[in-house]
Amino acid sequence: MTDFLQLTVAGLSQGSVYALLAVGLIATYTVRHVVNIAQGDYATLAGLGSISLVTAGLPLPVAILIALVSVTLASVLIERLVIARVKNLTTLVSIILTLGVSTLLQAIMLLIWGAEGRRLPAFPGNDLTLGGVSIRSQELWMLGALVVVGGGVLLFYEKTRWGKALRASAEQPVAARIVGISPAVASVIAFAIAGFVGATAGVVSSPIYLSIWSGGLLLGLKGFVAAVLGGLVSFRAAIVGALLLGIIESYVAGYVASGWKDAVAFFILIIVLIIRPAGLVLRPNAVRV
Amino acid sequence: MSLLNNAAIRSKTGFWPNNRGTIIGVAVLAVIIAIVPFTASSSMMNIAVFSMIFALPAIGLSLLMGLAGQVSLGQAAFFAIGAYTHAILLQKFEQPALVAAVGGVVAAMLAALLVGLPMLRLRGHYLALATLGLGFIVMIAVREWDFTGRTTGIYGYGRPEVFGIPIDNNGLFFWFVAPFVLIGLVLALNLTRSRAGRALSSVNDSELAAESLGVNTYALRVKVFTLSAGFAGLGGVFYAYQVQIVSPQVAEFHVSVELLLMVVIGGLGSVWGAIAGAFIVELLSEGLRELIPAIIPGATGEVQLIGYGLVLILVIILLPGGLYQVVKTAWAAIRRRMGKRADAASRPVPDGTADAGAGDVPTRAFGGLPGESAASAGTEGLDDTTDAAASAPRIPTVSTPIAAGEPILEVTGLTKRYGGVVAVDDVSFTVPAGRIMGLIGPNGAGKTTCFNMITGAIAPTSGTVRFLGNEIQGRKPHVGAEAGLTRTFQNLQVFSSTDVVGNVYMGRYRKGRAGILRGMLGLQGREQYTHEEVARDILDSMRLGDVAGLAAGDLPFGRQRMMEVCRALAAEPALLLLDEPMAGLSGHERELLATLLRALRDAGLTIVLVEHDVAQVMALADTVAVLDDGVLIAHGDPESVRNDPAVIVAYLGTDAEEAEAELKELEEQS
Repeated sequence: MTDFLQLTVAGLSQGSVYALLAVGLIATYTVRHVVNIAQGDYATLAGLGSISLVTAGLPLPVAILIALVSVTLASVLIERLVIARVKNLTTLVSIILTLGVSTLLQAIMLLIWGAEGRRLPAFPGNDLTLGGVSIRSQELWMLGALVVVGGGVLLFYEKTRWGKALRASAEQPVAARIVGISPAVASVIAFAIAGFVGATAGVVSSPIYLSIWSGGLLLGLKGFVAAVLGGLVSFRAAIVGALLLGIIESYVAGYVASGWKDAVAFFILIIVLIIRPAGLVLRPNAVRV
Repeated sequence: MSLLNNAAIRSKTGFWPNNRGTIIGVAVLAVIIAIVPFTASSSMMNIAVFSMIFALPAIGLSLLMGLAGQVSLGQAAFFAIGAYTHAILLQKFEQPALVAAVGGVVAAMLAALLVGLPMLRLRGHYLALATLGLGFIVMIAVREWDFTGRTTGIYGYGRPEVFGIPIDNNGLFFWFVAPFVLIGLVLALNLTRSRAGRALSSVNDSELAAESLGVNTYALRVKVFTLSAGFAGLGGVFYAYQVQIVSPQVAEFHVSVELLLMVVIGGLGSVWGAIAGAFIVELLSEGLRELIPAIIPGATGEVQLIGYGLVLILVIILLPGGLYQVVKTAWAAIRRRMGKRADAASRPVPDGTADAGAGDVPTRAFGGLPGESAASAGTEGLDDTTDAAASAPRIPTVSTPIAAGEPILEVTGLTKRYGGVVAVDDVSFTVPAGRIMGLIGPNGAGKTTCFNMITGAIAPTSGTVRFLGNEIQGRKPHVGAEAGLTRTFQNLQVFSSTDVVGNVYMGRYRKGRAGILRGMLGLQGREQYTHEEVARDILDSMRLGDVAGLAAGDLPFGRQRMMEVCRALAAEPALLLLDEPMAGLSGHERELLATLLRALRDAGLTIVLVEHDVAQVMALADTVAVLDDGVLIAHGDPESVRNDPAVIVAYLGTDAEEAEAELKELEEQS
């Protein structure tokens, strides 16, 4: 039982990373109908960047802050230099395009930081033990980041006028313009949010899960699996799905074999896509002719 | 020109492609392949060998992307399945070389069929991501499974001799693998021109229109997916043979990215491009692996990825058509400069304007076919029943499976709900064969919804649609189409990637037989040729013969509409459904169409038309059904419907007298 609970805690903390990445993916998908394969690379980029800054002698909070801001800017830059350059960007082309971005980012990270995985120092705090289950303070930081940043994005998109206008801009550019948001601005804001959320996931998870140049792709794809559970539009379903995915992976690693852990997400992805491509919470859309 | 082409026509039942450019291209490639091992340096030879190995999965992927319009991000999975199966059959089961090789290809195709059956129901980006997931699953499976040797993989098997010759150097191996690439190229090129290939490229233009002509998109996509995996599996077999060790590396994601890059560089859907892309990517990869450590000391590992990423982004932004587009544009420019006015239209046409579109050969559906008159089979369907009036069109063949007056279409209790909104409410009517029925109603009355449910474009919430006695409601459009029900569209659904005759040719789809295998082997030239002739005759009879060679998207709106009617008629339907056929036509065109429809009716065709133009419908139809707010409020002969008070009120407002006056006025205008 203790094992089970311990695995659950580990799964929740890993799931919170997927959840943040899923939030980032949905943030751009709802506004731009872009599936951003590079979403997970934002996390590794922020992780590796903050590690270098800490190594250079900067205090941890400053290093993290700089990393978050830089990756947010990088995401905006990617939007301006790459995404916005393609006319009639379909979702399918966006996948190929951001796959190129992801490959490029990974190669740059490989050249700068090398092939070794690195670790950010743990955030301040004391580890807890509850009924034999130990919870590391870093895991609380990760869940906290999900609540604050992920929850913040969710509230922004669902409750604020600006957020609603952003969501509308994909479906009704004219209506969004009337509210005062041009599609270009909406897209930039969405990518800034995606960059920030991805970077947050990267820095809070680095002390436990390492940052390695090639790690972002898999992380982002698992975020995508979670986002698909929410039909690529529901933040809430995606967050719940991400936490569940983390827990299931953790059980598979603990009870079956750790090597198979990464395959679980893709089995879930394929099964969910085949059974309910519109996600688990929405009714499938009627096709209009 | 004519010599070569005529020869090609005669040998069209043979294996080789029937296009001069292709024959020259294949010959040049064959010569290059023959001499490369004598001239290339050893590092260049290495690149050449691997570009041949990877050209095979790239050809497969380009078929999938170009023809089926699907992107696979997991092509490496099938490459790996082919490689592992080959290696395991040789090393663990000590099977003969041929068995092991064939086993590798079959295993890849079987795996693709199994996963393709459920996955190809997915659309576009969902399929891409599902295949990406599949790639990871295969990679993890071979890494974690004892049987596949975990991280070390399978090794320790020798290279089987080929016809007693040991393949012990790169040059010999190159000559061994290259013929397979050449044959694969020819098969793939044949396929893109075949009935199945044309059907799939129509699907990419308009899935609904293609299905309404009898194309079973899903089945074709599953077949192409499986075929594509076969190419990947063959590449894997050669890889295992050459490298003599198969480890999880072959299944890694960046292999899939590499293959995708080859196809994107080459130009989506261009089989030639895939081969060129394979060479370029291998060259890029080798070059970067040497260059980058020289610039950045200490750089190790997959440094070539930086080039992959950059090139992928740049090609999509700057050159979305890839090399294929570059060559196509350059070729067109050369032709223009040389003043070579194409081989003009392959058929003499009355006013000789057809060569306007002949410059862009690649978009022509039947480039290079000469103007030999059709075999008699081609024209037998075109009874020249032209009446005295010179303006009346000749009538294409229609099929009359049942006697006039018998019910051909029975609609019972047809209902469609969208959430709480009832778009069509319990509509029932019967259409007797050999009659024209008009379906009218105010905007939003549910006419098109009704229409879409009959043709299978949308599934009804409840109710039945019987066509020739068989229930077809909720089935895909191709089910009804195969039985002889075909339609046109209110919002035109033109196959814009081909020319006008190519569009009408697609109407012949249900009359054809040849499948993917025959298509690849080029064994359907005669059949295609016959159908093309029929298509041209139909165009001539509708006075579109002069634009047969034009890109369909370039036609004016009214002629596109007429072209859609031609396309539907080419299917030799028993029941033709026309969705607002008069909209956008000039007065003259309307007259022509009305005359044609009457003549078709007299020939036995059943026609249902949705129209806004009430006067036209009243003049044309034998029976008229009126929908209002999703409810059928009247159904009968035009006279009784015209005088039905409910219709007058529904159609023209609440004031019945005023409405009647307006209706009269409308009729007088027409």
